[in-house]
This record gives sequence, structure tokens and C-alpha cells, in this order.
Amino acid sequence: MGSVAVEPAQASALDRDVACRVRGLTVTYKVDNRELSALRDVDLDIRQGQITAVIGESGSGKSTLALALMNAVSKPGRIAAGKVTYRDLGEVTAMDSERLRRARGRSLSMVFQASQNSLNPLTRVGAQLLDLARSHDMRDPRAVLREAAALAERMSLDADRVLTSYQHQLSGGMRQRVGIIFGLVLKPQVLLLDEPTTALDVLSQSSVLEIVRSIQRERQLTTVLITHDMGVVAELADRVVVLYAGRVVEEAPTTELIRHPRHPYTRALIQAIPRLTGDPSLARPLEGQPPSLAAIPTTGCVFRGRCPHRMEVCETSTPGISQVSDTDHRYACHWEGAAND
Amino acid sequence: MIEVRAIEKVYRGGGGLLSQRAVKALRGVSLTLKDGEAISLIGESGCGKTTLGRIIAGLETYSQGELVFDGTPLSQVPPGDRPQWFHRVQLVQQDPYGALNPARTLGNALVDPLKLQAKHLGKDATWTRERARELLNLVGLDPEATLYKYPHNLSGGQRQRFVVARALTVDPKVLVADEAVSMIDVSLRLGILSLLSDLRVRLGISVIFITHDVAAARYVARDGVICVIYRGEIVEYGRTDDIIRSPVHPYTQALLSAMPVLRGLEKPGPDRFIPSQDLDTQAQDEAGCLFRSRCRFATERCGREHPNLVALDGGERLHACFYPQARDVVPVPVG
Repeated sequence: MGSVAVEPAQASALDRDVACRVRGLTVTYKVDNRELSALRDVDLDIRQGQITAVIGESGSGKSTLALALMNAVSKPGRIAAGKVTYRDLGEVTAMDSERLRRARGRSLSMVFQASQNSLNPLTRVGAQLLDLARSHDMRDPRAVLREAAALAERMSLDADRVLTSYQHQLSGGMRQRVGIIFGLVLKPQVLLLDEPTTALDVLSQSSVLEIVRSIQRERQLTTVLITHDMGVVAELADRVVVLYAGRVVEEAPTTELIRHPRHPYTRALIQAIPRLTGDPSLARPLEGQPPSLAAIPTTGCVFRGRCPHRMEVCETSTPGISQVSDTDHRYACHWEGAAND
Repeated sequence: MIEVRAIEKVYRGGGGLLSQRAVKALRGVSLTLKDGEAISLIGESGCGKTTLGRIIAGLETYSQGELVFDGTPLSQVPPGDRPQWFHRVQLVQQDPYGALNPARTLGNALVDPLKLQAKHLGKDATWTRERARELLNLVGLDPEATLYKYPHNLSGGQRQRFVVARALTVDPKVLVADEAVSMIDVSLRLGILSLLSDLRVRLGISVIFITHDVAAARYVARDGVICVIYRGEIVEYGRTDDIIRSPVHPYTQALLSAMPVLRGLEKPGPDRFIPSQDLDTQAQDEAGCLFRSRCRFATERCGREHPNLVALDGGERLHACFYPQARDVVPVPVG
């Protein structure tokens, strides 16, 4: 399959199938009087009613992206450039803090990594749900509790027990499910999941993934999944965006990306997964470390330090976006070999 | 060679003085680990695998049974000699952030145990310095770039490598790696797993790898054995390839089924199923099979009788199920 260079898409009125459009998003953190970019020039379309995964290593900017999607980047960070526009809400990057407060939780909701750290240890789960309802001026806060109980039953949790528990009385898998209940209870249009299964063992992980999958299908919920685990992506996501050192390096439908990765980073990432089938000695560790925020190259390709196909041009020029012809598979790489499977 | 003989561990707790509830973390576990062999202990959180690892490393006592090292039972070792005895087993913990003192340089953290070792072996300070460099090279860290740094200067993967180097200072014969990669990015995990395999081959040490991730367990023990633990009991045991290819215990099948399928490269195995119910650590009923409440194949007999660990077809494979049946739950590669 050949590849053609494409112009970056123009920001325009949102298409029917796009729930959120990100254009030219740059987020910087001020460290020792220097502005360091955690995200640079990120363009992204999050499709309506689909699960879009953002995959990257620690320090790739994936959690910063999740915060930027809610315009919740806090000091010393700031959104230095770019727009995040939702179809139903408009441009969140232009909203004042009161409108943002109302949007968050109600329309855009986020489930954090390690929910045990985001629940209040001093009050019961039910009381925290009532707080959530009141802070969003729900006319009937009890309805929120009923909705939460229904969700808990869905997730094969004992609703009475969970709502009257403190967080320390719940296991890790149960807490993560409670985190998801908080994320869903106000019926948001967009759900952001930041590493929803990282602290869980495989059995709890598979049941949490199953819950997210079935609720997403039922509600046609637009979901953004932030993770470092390609296995979780493969189980859940419709599309994948690969983030490396604050830049999008590849984007494709999930099965296409796993089967035909183009960017050398994505290729290495997939090769580094220990598998249950095939010759285990064929798995190859990904060499090197991702660059720290201060060491991310500002010109040229951000991956070149670990790239087996590094060329001279990679030092000087930032690779443009190439598209695999007739598909919505895009990648950013100078290497000609990237065009082939 | 390490032998674990019918080890039981009971934690007392809860309730008042008279109604003390006992929690059985291990219910008579027996294992043998030969020199240079790799074994992966798999099971979910709370199954007792960590307790077993800590007992083998001498960090936890046991209530019943016996731990035997090269033919000497622990009970015959005078308490004063036990620290030395346990030097042969080193534990690498899950959290490389918590395992290092943030206020001391990595050089100090590595040189201190080496000094003791030098005294023990009658070596001088030059040996200590050289040995520190040698160990760092062995785990894939650059000595010059590491020795004068503090733990916070290293990434998670580098820290875990450093913790392995420190474990090697006392020339152990066994490394117990407890969830040693679960806090590290997936992209860097394979590097640590292959380091453990390399060390086993190059230094001839045995590795006990404790995990809930069956793919990682397979990678480390690819020419060794897998031991599946459920609520403090071994429920299946065998050569790694056999366990992965044809698991016979429904719990092993549940663990394998729960592994993500890399759609595009793999499709789900024909018999794959998703276990829904959580491990209930409060459940105290002892009669019958401990897994039956979560088992989709349980019968009336499973509630009455307790299945013991028995050989499958008279071979070296062991299982604890009345109805051992191989099922294809592992993903199948696609063309």
C-alpha cells in the first residue's frame, strides 16, 4: 500500500461523527523559568459513540492530554496554543471557570487512575454521590443514588453494601468500579478513562473492561481511554492514537494498527508485548528510555534517539503526516520503510 | 535446591479475644525448586502467592510445614544463623520507588552491602568498587551515570534494574521477584523480564517469579514450571508449555481467558470465558472445592468433597479438580 502526504485538516464546523475536535493543541509546563512542551501541535478527532484510545509511555503527555480535553491543566502548566471543541458544548478552551465546573462531571466526566486516591476516605460512597448531585444542582439528588444503585447492580456489586461503605472497605477492583459509577452517574456525553485498570489484577481488569464495553455499547457513549497497555487497547478501543514525547506519531483503527503498525515506535511497542502464543523469544524489549520533558527535541523527530531507522533528515525536520491510501491510518515518519507492512 | 513442604500460614485477626477469626493465607503448599530453575507462581490478588514468596525469602514465618534448603530444614538452623542462611534468597519487590532510600546516593545503596560481603570474603576496597561496576553492567545500567545519582533521577525501569543489582550483591542462589514489573510501563517490562531470564542462565541462579500476568509468567519460566495458586492452595502445576497449551483446572482457564486478546494478530480461543465473580476473601467455608462458587463447571460433588492435588494421567503434571478437562482458552494467532 502506498502513502500520500496530506495537509493537516482544517478546523471547521464539526462533522456529524466527530464528538470532539482538537487542533494545534500545545500544553507547556513552566520549569525553572523555561516553558517546556508536554504536548505539541496535537490534532485529533474523537469520534462520536466510539472508544478512542490514547496510548503512550510514562511522560508521553497522555495524562496531560486528558486534562487538556477538560481544560483542567493546572499551574505550572497551561494550554499555550490550540483549541478543544466539543460538538455539544462548544470550545472548552474558551470557557470561564463556572461554565467549566458545570460541564465537568455533567457533560464531560473523568475516571482517574487508582480511584482509591480520588474517593474521600472520610465519608461513605453514598454521601459522596449526594455531594456530586448537589454540586450539579440536581433537582432530585435521590435519583442520582438510584441511578448509582442500578449501575452497581450492573457491575455485579451489592449496591447497598457499596453505597454505605467507606473506600477502605472495598477491594481494588470494587473501588475502580465505584470510580466508574461516579463517572457515569450524571449521564455524561463524553467519558474520559485515565488508566482505568492499571492497579488491578487480570481478573478484575477483565471484568472492568467488560463493564466499560457493555455500558459504552448500550449508551453509545463517546469514550477516551488513556493507557500504556496495548492489551487494554486491543480489548476495548475502536481507534488508537499513539502519543510519543507529546506528539501524535500514529493513528488508526485498532485492528489495523496492531496488524500493520507503520511508525517504528508503534512497531517496537507491539513487539515488546509478552504473548501467550508463538515463540516467546521473538519478543524484543524496547530499547532506551523516553526523553524527559526537558530533553524532548524541539526540531526533528522526537523518536529519533531510540529509532533503528534514524536518518540525517530526522535531526532537522519534523516529519509530516502521511496517510495510508484509502484508509484513515496516519503516521508521522520520514523512513520510507514505514509505508510498507 | 529449595523444598517447600506442606507449608501453612494462618493470620490471626479480627473479632475479640475469644472469637478470633483465623485467615488461612496458605493451606499446605509443597514445591521443589532445583538450582537454576525458573518457576512462576500465578494467581490473583490475595491468593497467597506473595506470602509464599516472603516465607521463602525468610521475611515471614510459617505456621506449619517445613522449608528445606539444600537438604537442611530451617527448623534445625539455630536462630542466630538464620539471617546468613536466608542470604541465599533475595527478594525483588513490586515497588522500585519504595525500595530505595531517597536521601542516599545509589552508589552508597550498592556499596554498603558489598562492604559486608567484602569483609565476609576477605576482599579489599578495590574489589568493592569493581564489583559495584560489574553488577551495574550486568543489569544493563551505565555505572558512571548511575553511582552518583539519587533514586529520583532514575526512571521506573532503571530503578527496578538497580534493585536487582542490589539483590545480587550477596551472591544469592535464588531471586524471588514479586510482581517486579507491574508498576513499570508495558513497553519497558520485557526488558526487566529478559534481564531475569539472562541472569538465571548466566549466573545459574533460580528465579521464583510471582505475578498475575500469565504472559509474563510464561516469558520468565518458558523452560520452567508454572504453579497456579488459589486461596492458599496449589490448584494446578506443570511445565509452562503444558499449562498454557492445555490448562485443565477451571481457575487456570479463567486466568488465561482474562488475558487481553491482541485483535488483529490474535482471535479469542474457542473456549474462552470471562469469569465474573470476585474473589471473596471473607468466605470461610472449608468443605468442598474452594473455587466452586466461581466455577461454571461445579457439580454437587464439588460442594461436598475437597479435591486434592493429584497427578494428571500419572505424569508430573498436577491438578486439584474432580473434572480435569483441557480447554482452548488461549488466543489463536490469525494468518
